[in-house]
Amino acid sequence: MRRTFVVGRRVLGQLRRNPRFLVLTIVGPLVIVYFLKLFFDTFPEGFDTGRYAVPAAAFIVHFLAFLLCAIALVQERTAGTMERMFINGFRRAEVIGGYVLGFLGLATLQAAVALGEVLWLFELDYDADVLATLFAVVWLLAIASVMLGIFVSTFARKEGQVFPFVPLIILPSVFLSGFLVDVGELPDWAGWLGHAFPVLYANNVIQEMIEPGGTLADVWVNFAVLAGYGLVLLLLASRTLPEVEK
Amino acid sequence: MDAIEVEGLEKRYGKKVQALGGVDLSVGRGEVFGLVGPNGAGKTTLIKALVGALRPSGGRARVLGLDPLKDRPELRRRIGYMPQSPVLYDDLPALENVEFFGAAHGVRGLRERAREALRFVELEERANDPVHTLSGGMKNRVSLACALVHRPEMLFLDEPTAGVDPRLRSRFWAAFRELARGGATLFITTHLMDEAILCDRVAVLRQGRVVVCDEPREILQRGRTRLLVREDEREEERIIGGRAEDLAEALHAYGLRESVSAVSVEADSLEQVVLSIIGEEA
Repeated sequence: MRRTFVVGRRVLGQLRRNPRFLVLTIVGPLVIVYFLKLFFDTFPEGFDTGRYAVPAAAFIVHFLAFLLCAIALVQERTAGTMERMFINGFRRAEVIGGYVLGFLGLATLQAAVALGEVLWLFELDYDADVLATLFAVVWLLAIASVMLGIFVSTFARKEGQVFPFVPLIILPSVFLSGFLVDVGELPDWAGWLGHAFPVLYANNVIQEMIEPGGTLADVWVNFAVLAGYGLVLLLLASRTLPEVEK
Repeated sequence: MDAIEVEGLEKRYGKKVQALGGVDLSVGRGEVFGLVGPNGAGKTTLIKALVGALRPSGGRARVLGLDPLKDRPELRRRIGYMPQSPVLYDDLPALENVEFFGAAHGVRGLRERAREALRFVELEERANDPVHTLSGGMKNRVSLACALVHRPEMLFLDEPTAGVDPRLRSRFWAAFRELARGGATLFITTHLMDEAILCDRVAVLRQGRVVVCDEPREILQRGRTRLLVREDEREEERIIGGRAEDLAEALHAYGLRESVSAVSVEADSLEQVVLSIIGEEA
């Protein structure tokens, strides 16, 4: 556990010393959410923008957290620091756990910034308990995205090899997670496939919570699956990350 | 027990590429052991197999009496490894890099030990500078500090002086000798023969096999000496063996006649001997 904190502290130290990266990760969601606002402003008055805007914020955080974490870990491999860490005695679980800790703060910040801007720009007004649940679900999605990034990075040897995973993971999330169309209207197989992506569970919780009278009790399974999703990926990644060259 | 014992170590990538073709060697404790060979000879593959970063296809290796793969956690506490290029976190200061790798070993009084390691490589004054602001040679020195911060019993250094200027190289070798005097065993790969000659013993690796393993002085004796004798305005050139006895024997034929006005001797360098050994094996 001590070494997990050592890796986490080092990842944080690197993030802190890379202001350009930090600014991009925070300014990125802000700009995208603003573009989203411009897009929805073209819709007829009375259109329920909240139904799309809040999940969109979650989706933006999901995309950025996944991509940034995957690339950072692959860079460790290409630079040789991953191998040096292992030779120095760090274990797989410690490296992965350290990355989760390091990116946790960043994911939290991204979740808060994206959600805050959506609520402000779209003038959405929710009760404090709804807001807390919305933040929790976006945060959990961000954590699951970090795990997904770590998991995907274990299959890539170069940064370039991460990019084919982007359309494979991100685009199905857009179309099959109920974000744009109701999952019930999709063919059965596509509906089932949508369940493989964490955005579906986050969207289910968000849609329920922003409905008048919506309660977490009705969607708690989605909430739990989202939390479990990250955990399962963490376990998978800690088995697939190669510690010894074959 | 030797620090390193290797028997028939093999590494194949697929059916066609054989990086190690049955390596046999042993390294004594406290020895400065050099592994030389041309690019692609298998030096880095061998070093990675010995530090447990690579799974060999066959054969057996023991480092400090431990299996590099099965006893990984214990072995990694006792060894230090410096990769070929300075593998460091460029954004972080030199001191934080050394502390990070030291923290993996649970080093006590880490800050002081990291400073001590940087002092050893004469970089203490740049301890707080980000690595990306350092020169290539300085990065190599930080990398060496990372490898020895936990005071390992055995150091694996993969071409530690590649791209380093001669003055700094001699500083590195002074540091290696100091570590060896302190009881550490050093396993160093290089393709520079003027460095190999500084080792206690040298193994020459060619196409994944050890073609010779001996003290540099003994390897030099496998070379040839070009003997040029000028007698009565007549010059005679003879190629003799590299041993001192070969020279004495050749000179016996001349006695020390007044007519012999000059004798010059040109012995093969270690590089020439190694190249001829590699050539013989090809």
